[in-house]
Amino acid sequence: MGRHFRPARVAQATMELMAANLVHDTPRWYKAVKMIPPAEILTRPYPVQHTAPSPHARRPRNLFKPTHMVYPEDELRRNFFRDHPWELARPRMILELDGKDARYVDWSTGVRQPGMPLSGECVVQRQLWLMENVPDVTKESAYDMARREFYELRQLEDIQRRIAVEEARMVGAYFGKSTLQYGMDIEDKEYERWKKWAGAEINKMEAERQKAYTNVVDLPDTPDLEEELLKEAL
Amino acid sequence: MIIRNIVLRHGRQVIVASASPSCCVRALSTSTAKSATTATAPKGPTNVPSFFTTPEQRAKIAALKEQMDKVPDNFKEFRSIQKKTGKIGAVTQPRHLPDEMLKYPPHDATLEMLMAAQAHMGHNTSLWNPANQRYIYGVREGIHIIALETIAAHLRRAAKVVEEVAYHGGLILFVGTRRDQRPIVVRAAELAGGCHLFQNWTPGTITNRDQILAQGKLRMVDELDRDVPGFDDHIQECRPVIPDLVVCLNPLENYPMLHECGLANVPTIGIIDTNADPTWVTYQIPANDDSLRAMALIAAVLGRAGQRGQERRHADAEDGVITWETPSDVRRFVQNTLTAKAQEKKDQERQSVEQPAWGREMVESDEDVAKAMKQLADEEGI
Repeated sequence: MGRHFRPARVAQATMELMAANLVHDTPRWYKAVKMIPPAEILTRPYPVQHTAPSPHARRPRNLFKPTHMVYPEDELRRNFFRDHPWELARPRMILELDGKDARYVDWSTGVRQPGMPLSGECVVQRQLWLMENVPDVTKESAYDMARREFYELRQLEDIQRRIAVEEARMVGAYFGKSTLQYGMDIEDKEYERWKKWAGAEINKMEAERQKAYTNVVDLPDTPDLEEELLKEAL
Repeated sequence: MIIRNIVLRHGRQVIVASASPSCCVRALSTSTAKSATTATAPKGPTNVPSFFTTPEQRAKIAALKEQMDKVPDNFKEFRSIQKKTGKIGAVTQPRHLPDEMLKYPPHDATLEMLMAAQAHMGHNTSLWNPANQRYIYGVREGIHIIALETIAAHLRRAAKVVEEVAYHGGLILFVGTRRDQRPIVVRAAELAGGCHLFQNWTPGTITNRDQILAQGKLRMVDELDRDVPGFDDHIQECRPVIPDLVVCLNPLENYPMLHECGLANVPTIGIIDTNADPTWVTYQIPANDDSLRAMALIAAVLGRAGQRGQERRHADAEDGVITWETPSDVRRFVQNTLTAKAQEKKDQERQSVEQPAWGREMVESDEDVAKAMKQLADEEGI
């Protein structure tokens, strides 16, 4: 649909119309738009360079295209979730309420932070804090330190959960079937169905065989054999 | 037999509620003589009607009654336990209010609020409109990220425009034609004292408004937004109004409206996502138009700005400062009416006096007419 220049020029257009006496009343918006002119558009400033251009490029390309944003956490996050892929399976809240979540946490105090469930993100942030604040710490050792705290807390969570279940059972709670139990039940049902079907099939085959024997009318020149068969059949 | 079963099933209450057991029994039994005997039979301590013949049934009913008698005590105990243990454990609080921005509209959007509302997320990089390059901060996970400072700056500029237009008595129209934007535009219009549109824009509502808006109602108001009587004749002749400012939450779906606004020289404010064209509107607010939270935040800020403008306008009007001019057609109508009135008065005077007044007296009477016109105009606040 091309470029449109009328919206940006409403004030000028109206001014010209008023000068030509084609518009008699000054519009209500006129003072406001004269006082607050529209912002500049369609110009392309040199964008923020988050990543350095490729050193192998012979001549600069895509100078005015937005660049990829890279943060130091990215690599740490990638490494953590490569080592712990099942951490991605845990539910996570991605809704931000007031946007000040980062102000409620202090990574100098450890992996566990108030108002935030323990997750891989905690490890990443703690590792970054250690890398930035502990002198002479490598990335790997910071990772190990953060990870150790994380594992301990995860173990603690497991123990707490187990004990909570035990206590609840003690006072009479019951938790029904587990998902595994449900799966096993379905499997058992399927086996039973198969057993019934297989029994019916065996019976059918047996009957077929029997029918094949009973339909035998006579065998040539072996009367004694026929007698034997008859006996067997009886 | 069937009737008896119904009584059994419906339980104790039916039997107890019946005024006399004899009538019940009469309905149930086939022989009247037998019923008479059962009606007079002495009742046991369990108060079980004796027409239940078998002892098993009677025992069953008695057991049920005992159980029912325990219910109040059990309930009392349950409530006392609940009272004791109700406050044990964690307390859950509602943390997220989906309608927060509509219930408590903020006066300004901070960068944190914009980011939490996901106003910074653009579209896939391949869908971008390169004209929006100056609003984009970078690329992340395959999408463009709009710079939060740019959003805030443009939002403040737009809010200022809304406030000033409201201050000068302009009509502001909020448009959001996506289904879930209804409460947002309605709330923003309510705050700013403007109009809202959440259904399709009928093409030609501005350029062909004499036909399309012919049935619309007009009001003639004074500087304090009170209805002014005596303009019914003029309202019949008036053309439908056009908005003085249009705020559009989804410009991509409303191209005909924005085009008409351009033709009619109406300034527009639009939310420009990374795939939209910034030249369609006068004032751009680069933001994510697919996030309802971002839309609610931006519309709330604009609505609040409109509210501030209206309040300022009313306060000034109370002090006698009127921030807008009477339209020329209204002024002409008032002049014509006053002249006609004065002429009428003059004719009446002439008839009563029955003396032709020409020459010097004529000048005096013209001055009087001008004075009266001025006085009337002052009275009507024009």
